Amino acid sequence: MTPRPIHTPNRPPAVIAIVLFAIAVITYWDASQMTTRAAYGMSASAASYFVALLFAVLAVGHLVSAFKPSNVEVEVADWKAVGWIGLALCGLIGSIWLGGGFILGSTLLFALTAHAFGRRAFLVDLCLGAAIGVFVFLLFNKLLTLALPQGPLEKLF
Amino acid sequence: MRNFMKYGLMAAIVGSVLSFGSLSATAQDLELTITAPAGAGGGWDSASRSLQEAMMATGNAKSVQVVNVPGAGGTVGLAQFIGSAKGSPNQLLVAGITLVGASISNKSPVNLTQVTPLARLTGDPLVIVVSKDSPIKTIDDLLATIKTDVAKTIWVGGSAGGADHILAALVTKAAGADPAKINYVAYSGGGESLAAMLGGQATAGVSGYGEWEGQIKSGDLRALAISYPEPIEGIEAKPLKAQGLDIELVNWRGIFAGPDVQGADLDALKAAVDNTVKSEQWQAILKARGWSDYYAPTDEFKTFIASENDRVRSILTSIGLAD
Amino acid sequence: MDSISFLIEGFALAIQPANLIYAAIGVMIGTAVGVLPGIGPALTVALLLPVTFKLDPGGSIIMFAGIYYGGMYGGSTTAILLNTPGESASVVTALEGNKMARSGRGGPALATAAIGSFVAALIATLGLAFLAPILVKVAVKFGPWDYFGLMLIAFVTVSATFGSSPMRGLTSLAFGLWLGLMGIDQLTGQARLTFGVPELLDGVEVTTLAVGLFAIGEAFLVASRHLHKPEKPIPVKGSIWMTKEDWGRSWKPWLRGTVLGFPIGALPAGGAEIPTFLSYNIERRLSRKPQEFGQGAIEGVAGPEAANNASAAGTLVPLLTLGLPTSATAAVMLAGFQQYNIQPGPLLFTQHADLVWGLVASLFIANVMLLVLNLPLVGMWVKLLKIPLPWLYAGILVFASMGTIAANPSVVELLLLTGFGVIGFLMRRYDYPIAPAVVGLILGPLADNALRRSLQMSLGDPMILFQHPSSAIMIAIATIALIAPFIFRGLSRFQHDED
Repeated sequence: MTPRPIHTPNRPPAVIAIVLFAIAVITYWDASQMTTRAAYGMSASAASYFVALLFAVLAVGHLVSAFKPSNVEVEVADWKAVGWIGLALCGLIGSIWLGGGFILGSTLLFALTAHAFGRRAFLVDLCLGAAIGVFVFLLFNKLLTLALPQGPLEKLF
Repeated sequence: MRNFMKYGLMAAIVGSVLSFGSLSATAQDLELTITAPAGAGGGWDSASRSLQEAMMATGNAKSVQVVNVPGAGGTVGLAQFIGSAKGSPNQLLVAGITLVGASISNKSPVNLTQVTPLARLTGDPLVIVVSKDSPIKTIDDLLATIKTDVAKTIWVGGSAGGADHILAALVTKAAGADPAKINYVAYSGGGESLAAMLGGQATAGVSGYGEWEGQIKSGDLRALAISYPEPIEGIEAKPLKAQGLDIELVNWRGIFAGPDVQGADLDALKAAVDNTVKSEQWQAILKARGWSDYYAPTDEFKTFIASENDRVRSILTSIGLAD
Repeated sequence: MDSISFLIEGFALAIQPANLIYAAIGVMIGTAVGVLPGIGPALTVALLLPVTFKLDPGGSIIMFAGIYYGGMYGGSTTAILLNTPGESASVVTALEGNKMARSGRGGPALATAAIGSFVAALIATLGLAFLAPILVKVAVKFGPWDYFGLMLIAFVTVSATFGSSPMRGLTSLAFGLWLGLMGIDQLTGQARLTFGVPELLDGVEVTTLAVGLFAIGEAFLVASRHLHKPEKPIPVKGSIWMTKEDWGRSWKPWLRGTVLGFPIGALPAGGAEIPTFLSYNIERRLSRKPQEFGQGAIEGVAGPEAANNASAAGTLVPLLTLGLPTSATAAVMLAGFQQYNIQPGPLLFTQHADLVWGLVASLFIANVMLLVLNLPLVGMWVKLLKIPLPWLYAGILVFASMGTIAANPSVVELLLLTGFGVIGFLMRRYDYPIAPAVVGLILGPLADNALRRSLQMSLGDPMILFQHPSSAIMIAIATIALIAPFIFRGLSRFQHDED
């Protein structure tokens, strides 16, 4: 139960500073590519330049704070569980991308997420996930006439 | 899960209400999918769902499903349709003039000349208005104002590059000013631009006639002209053409099949659409929705699409939205 | 007064047994569909429009009113219980509401949301009945410069959600502003930051960002802590009803939320989000227990929820008096009216007085029905949190992704949702507040458009912002609100000499 502070002095702010600076550069570049100018007033690129500047300033701010002693305690993470959730979301995306349909996707999402939280009854979770998927699919497609992505399973209904 | 059981109950209620309307048609066994390249609730979506209703009620199709693919003025839906409906005997797409403009201004690799036109369905006039207190009384007054100072003539209307913007540019050009100098303030829809008109923040406004009809009838806005080629019954404002300007622009919607659909498949789709459009049910829907019939059969529609594509491109180029 | 006798006639229409049943069906369907995330009131009404076609105009408009208000209620339930805002206007509700729900105070949070919505909708519907013609005259005078002033005020209030470090708060806000740039610019039609991906041309959906950062980011975080620091939401602690103290802390925020929400909702481009931000900020400043904000303060649920529902009634002001659809929901309702050849507009009140007042009366009735329907449900809803943790989060993820897919069935949208989930996780892990990002995404494009429209109308002269007294005053308020805390902090530091 005791939070174990890991001393990762100054690394996160430095990394974030680099990311922020990269975003600033991308935004600046994107704005400089915009050719259409407004006939009157400000062009659409003005807001982009403003945001780019804001990011640059924040990057400098983070860089400065990277050289100060850090007061943020970062706790230990169970990266395996995070990975399982990532996998669960990939399962959904993959299923829809590759034409596996909504029911298969949400079944995978449900079962893999439950696994990430330490459940080990994978088969039961698959069945439960599939039941929810079928129910949601029928609710949306038949009653609300909102077409969810269809795969082989959905064609059965 | 408890909440899902609750949904089940709700769903049963929804179901019992919905089932009043769904009747099964058996005359033909077409099982169609209509792609509406816009989110649920918009113009193309309601056209698709109306067509769905009419096709099933008249028995011209066994089942019709509407799929919404929103994004980028319809070009996302169009690209997806071109990919999935190639040679398909049961896929349809509803689209209109906005998609012609969007595929040009978004520099999209796909456009409406790549799909197979079936029929033009509806066409709504645009209207040019000024505020009731405006010194501008006629379209000629407006042209004179534009000629005097094109920058201070503030137009309001729908999004940049859309039909409203195109009409404003055509009028500016007709007045003898440079359409690239037009001061057109784009709003997200007829509602916000109407507020800007009523608030007196603009010189002139453009919108679909139907959206501003209430204000025109009540006298809050003065309609100078409509963009339809002929006068329309019940609309007092005269067409631009009748007032000496060679401008016509109609916000049309039509129905398309996928690329490379030919022979018997194409004939079956054509027949189903034509029979539906000629039915009483479809006419009743047009009336209820306030849409003007702008039907054109396949061949006429095909040449129309090609000419609209060229025309819209040249106007968008002149206002600097396309190269 | 004329209005009163019309209203009584309206009630006579709405109270007929058949119409009461329509209203009841409407609120139930509206609530059921409205709880789905990604399916806000607009989509709810759009999807259920065909259901109402089968009825006569009076009956269908009454059912409509029920669906509309029901959809508004539904959005807050998931925000409080599952940290999954159903629509952008419920984002603020999730901030405090979910914290309350996790500490066993979900009952009072749902109750204050429901009763607050009731009170707000009741007052705002009265306002709709009697103030609409006056209010709308002011509303259309609101120019782009005035909107810019209003956006500035809203921006300043964001600092209330910054948490411990202004720099981290600003970074989060900047992230939201950056996302807001994405897509086709409305004024010039060119694409910003879309990197050639056509799906990005419409920009980033607020609900995708909110659900990704809030719900999915949290699932990641809780999973990552599961081994070391298992945290289980407490379904019920203490009374599931509002205590006397809860009532005492709620009633003023309800009223203040209503006062903010109704007029801003009546503005043609006011929307429901801005009043919820403003209300949250005001309640934080006025609360006697400001330290509870961020930990689950009931005022932070009561005020924004009232503001949200009052603005929903406010939206009907321009719709009914001018035929001006100022929100997606209103646009769909307009289509509904047109089904019956009824053109909302300046003539609606005279030509179809019976229908308008029938609608207003049925809004009252729908409101009462919603309260009756929702309060008993509170007990059932909080039991949701009793579901075992693995299933609870698995269910939340399925629920969240399903709303996103239903609104826009594209892989890009799902990738965005997942990406935002990961970013939300990292932001929580490194103590960055997430609400400012959502606020930046909502306000950024609005402020950008308002400023550029102003400058376009003035041919580039920035003085237009100060020439109109209304916008000048709002810009002054924003400036003072921005500077004042620094001065006060400086003063108190000077007095206490703490550091």
